[in-house]
Amino acid sequence: MNSRLIKIAVPVVGASVLLVVAFVGWFVLSAWWSNPPPVLGFGEGPEQPIAFPHTVHVSDAGLDCQFCHRTVSTDEAATIPAVAQCLFCHGFDKIDGRLSTSGTAQEELAKLIADLGEPQEPINWNRVYRLPDHVQFVHAPHIQQGISCSTCHGEIGTMQVVKQVRNLKMRDCVDCHRDNGAPTDCSICHY
Amino acid sequence: MATQTKASAQRDNPKWEMVVDLDRCTGCQACVIACQAENNIPINEESAFHEHRAIQWIRIERYWEGEFPDVKARFLPLLCQQCDNAPCEPVCPVFATYHNNEGLNVQVYNRCVGTRYCGNNCPYHARLFNYWEPVWPEDLRNQLNPDVTVRTRGVMEKCTFCIQRIRRATRGGEPVEDGTLQPACAQACPTSALVFGNSNDPDAKVSRLKTDERHFRVMEHLGTDPSVTYLKQVDVDG
Amino acid sequence: MGLTRRRFLQWAGATGIGAVVFNGCRVPDHEIQVQSPVQIPEDLVTGRDNYYATVVQGPGSSEGLLVRVMEGRAKKVEGNPDYPMNTGKHGLRAEALLQAAYHPDRIKTPLRRVAKGGPFRPIGWPEAIAELTRVLTEADPSRVVLATAPIRGVLADVTRRFADSYGARLVGFDPLDLTVLRAAIKRVFGQDALPDFDIARTGYLLSFGSDFLGTWLDPTHFARGYGEFRQGDRERGYLVQVDSRFSPTAAAADEWVYVTPGSEGLLAMAMIHTIVSDGLGDDAAASALTGGRGASALSAFAPSAVAERVFGETGGGAERIRKMARDFASADHAQALAIGGGSAGAYANGLFNLTAIYALNHLVGAVDPPNGGGLVFNPPSEEPRITAAPLREWKQLISDMRAGAIDVLLVRDANIDYGLPGSLGTREALGNVGTIVSFSSFLDETTALADLILPGNTPLEEWGTDIPDPGPGYRTVAFQQPAINRFNDTLSFGDALLETGRELGFGDQLPWATMRDAVRDTARALHESGRGSVTQPTFEEFWKRALERGGWWDMNATASAASAPPQLPTAAASPDLAGDEDQYPFFLVPYEAHGIGAGGFAHLPWVQSAPDPITTVTWATWLDVNPTTARELNLHQDDVVIVGAPNGRFIHVTVYVNPATPPRVVSIPFGGGHEHFTGVAAKRGANVLDILADTEDAETGALAWAGTRVRLTKTRTRVRLPKLEGDELAVQLPGEEVIEVQHVRR
Repeated sequence: MNSRLIKIAVPVVGASVLLVVAFVGWFVLSAWWSNPPPVLGFGEGPEQPIAFPHTVHVSDAGLDCQFCHRTVSTDEAATIPAVAQCLFCHGFDKIDGRLSTSGTAQEELAKLIADLGEPQEPINWNRVYRLPDHVQFVHAPHIQQGISCSTCHGEIGTMQVVKQVRNLKMRDCVDCHRDNGAPTDCSICHY
Repeated sequence: MATQTKASAQRDNPKWEMVVDLDRCTGCQACVIACQAENNIPINEESAFHEHRAIQWIRIERYWEGEFPDVKARFLPLLCQQCDNAPCEPVCPVFATYHNNEGLNVQVYNRCVGTRYCGNNCPYHARLFNYWEPVWPEDLRNQLNPDVTVRTRGVMEKCTFCIQRIRRATRGGEPVEDGTLQPACAQACPTSALVFGNSNDPDAKVSRLKTDERHFRVMEHLGTDPSVTYLKQVDVDG
Repeated sequence: MGLTRRRFLQWAGATGIGAVVFNGCRVPDHEIQVQSPVQIPEDLVTGRDNYYATVVQGPGSSEGLLVRVMEGRAKKVEGNPDYPMNTGKHGLRAEALLQAAYHPDRIKTPLRRVAKGGPFRPIGWPEAIAELTRVLTEADPSRVVLATAPIRGVLADVTRRFADSYGARLVGFDPLDLTVLRAAIKRVFGQDALPDFDIARTGYLLSFGSDFLGTWLDPTHFARGYGEFRQGDRERGYLVQVDSRFSPTAAAADEWVYVTPGSEGLLAMAMIHTIVSDGLGDDAAASALTGGRGASALSAFAPSAVAERVFGETGGGAERIRKMARDFASADHAQALAIGGGSAGAYANGLFNLTAIYALNHLVGAVDPPNGGGLVFNPPSEEPRITAAPLREWKQLISDMRAGAIDVLLVRDANIDYGLPGSLGTREALGNVGTIVSFSSFLDETTALADLILPGNTPLEEWGTDIPDPGPGYRTVAFQQPAINRFNDTLSFGDALLETGRELGFGDQLPWATMRDAVRDTARALHESGRGSVTQPTFEEFWKRALERGGWWDMNATASAASAPPQLPTAAASPDLAGDEDQYPFFLVPYEAHGIGAGGFAHLPWVQSAPDPITTVTWATWLDVNPTTARELNLHQDDVVIVGAPNGRFIHVTVYVNPATPPRVVSIPFGGGHEHFTGVAAKRGANVLDILADTEDAETGALAWAGTRVRLTKTRTRVRLPKLEGDELAVQLPGEEVIEVQHVRR
């Protein structure tokens, strides 16, 4: 075999392997301590069955978060509204009206209407925010203490596709709890 | 006035305790299944019983006395005693179990690395280890309680006094009215043998019953100082 | 090119970490989606819990429930604190209804058999209803049978109207029916509805064979009273359990009195004899019971004459009977009460036994006493109810089937192939039935033989009402509403009947579009009465309130007074056990399993995994054997024995050496040995119904399920019983008791 080729190949292969290892290591460590770095699509929010634009609803229409996420101040979950609730505004006759203008919007709204047929298939929204395992998070007390939604969820109004902006690892939670004098007993969240 | 403030301060800083009236208990297993449903306890297959690895946060122990015709079977519902001097706590190398200020012996699943020291040190066998990944048939997953974590293989678990219900009831900050907060077992118990409450509230039923003349605590001589008080069964010798 | 160590490490490192990244970071599919609200009603806000009040009925029980529902899925069953029967408490079977709704082995769509004996093919509901209509149109109505588990309330009304309009024979089925108990209550008190027992305010409770804290009638309801009986405001009550088996109730009792199986009535009669001859009881009642002749009419039952037959080798002579009678009739305690049922009524002399037992109540003023305690009668139900037919009727029906006289059999949760005694040859007879249509939610043994399956809903998905029987002592109507939408492509039995009825042109008799309409009609009548716990100006408000509370009850609507005491028989009836003592030395006293009952709950994992209170055995069928007897027969724990009955039938069962089992008695719980009925129940344990003699109660014709003698044959097989207790018997160590017991002298 050509020894010159080997002399070139070994360092090249070695260097690229090293590079890969370094990349992977960096990736794993940052995923471990925080969130995966925004490469390979990791920083993006998941695609949703209906391309719901928070930009239109929050920034343009100026809706308050709690207009749709109604139980956030009283319950564990903020809850994704039921389809019926979408139709408070998007009534059947309004589909072609002023609430939706572009072609894509009409396509997406058609999906919404299709869900009202028989059988009533639910919309399987994809989860955006994930907490580590064995953690219970309750929205209500946070909202009641005056923490704004954007503290954890970022400027949702500017997001075409919603993504997780804060890592919400335990350090993140505990730091905030300490700063605000909130309880830090393990069993407040872990049960 | 001062005593009143003190009393209300005690009420506001609850210590959760339970009283089990063995004179009422019939061993009917309603508490056991209610607990399984509330706390996402994996289904105990036949093999789990063969290996004595069935997970029941509350179980009914049956003790025989004598043989036919002079025979007695006595029932003892046994759950985590939430000991104030818990033998399980100091042996955990990773501090996964500790005592909190409500008198609860807390198990933190994230921290648990599965050494099982705590289980071995518990005289009541109240701590149970997940030897397998808990599995439910897909449809049955619909029943799982979203308020309670589904544990994974390799962690210890045990009765929490239904801490998810305590968290829910105390979230508003107001003191909990006696009798309105019940763990799943006490709620189900058809004979009301299980009584749960805040023993820092002198008016609570649990405070009254735990000093009943029939009271005793299981294996009290070990010095565990349990938070579960049993009421002695009274036997009438005809 | 050789593989150097260094290169190997490089590769291994890269691939190893790669595996972590691309596997470890991937979230399991089911976790990516927000919990999908399958078939969720759109008016429900997701992520928030709702509680729906509903009710679940059993043959003798009625439990009002609150179901916690989140995102359209039921999460937890809790007792309804408002409902008079269980007042906020519930038993393990009610809890396990959740698993029935979400059972992986439910029948998910209507099924039709491709050809006789062929496999099933899924079909749609329109086709299923059309096929049922075709079958019924082509059949001769007099050759059609509709068999169902006992039903009360609106569904019973719909079922009866359907059967009557069409002309089909309607038969109820329950392996352990309550025929004998109903007959005894009718004979002794002249009442049609079963009475309630005010256990809480009773001072001395004498129970014959009825495991009322375990499985008999409504254990949750009775346990409510029992808790107060023990540690209520009053003096601690005294419980005596007369039983040929050590049941959970016997374990809870202050005194367990073993009697020879079938002699419960004899003991009660001897107690009556003592009370009458010593003048301890009510004179008028004593006179009526004896036809005015006093103790001389009962001379056949003098304690000295019957003591040996009652107590057998355990001793305790006539004096013991006299003492029991004196204790029972003594005025030292609050109200006395005698109840009986279960095995006491399951012999050829069952009605004789229960008549004697309940007659005791007349002597001590336990019949609706003014100060509480004793028997509380219920108003007769105006709504129809379908009760289980006695064995005698079923024998006739099976022989009709065998003769090919039945063309169509419609079954709903009436698992006759499993639940009738094996000697009847039900399977073979069912083979001669033209078409079998099943409405069951699960593929039980009878449904497995069906040609057409129209799967029904589980109780948490149905509309209905329940008029508890026994009730709480006043008129009560509970409303059953769907706490969750149906989870599979099933249809409630009532709706299927209504739809088929419309196709067949029974619109006049079945005027409702759905079961909901039928329930609303019942509610409308209650609203118009203007009485009871819910009164509202408009019907819609009444409807809403009644559903919220889980029912309607009228505490002023009580029962009519009991009739005068009947005259008691002067001669004893024989229990007439099958098999002679020499060849079949053991009494077989089977019993309803604590969880799985007579087999109807065997498909629910929680129920199967709930330990039996006495033996702590789970997931299996076992044979209780006395330790001394076991030594004599060289039997050990976990040995498999063949239990043989005089009719030549036998089953294999594993031995549990039970220190409380009497020497000449062996016991096997019902409910095991399913062939089908989901993967949870199938091929597990043995079915004791299979070997029972088809002996009937002489008067009512009900199955005398405790009336069989058996013999045991040891096999070489051993099967370890799955149980909670360890391999050593758990006993209290003297001086180191886990349970510290305080003894008091009485």
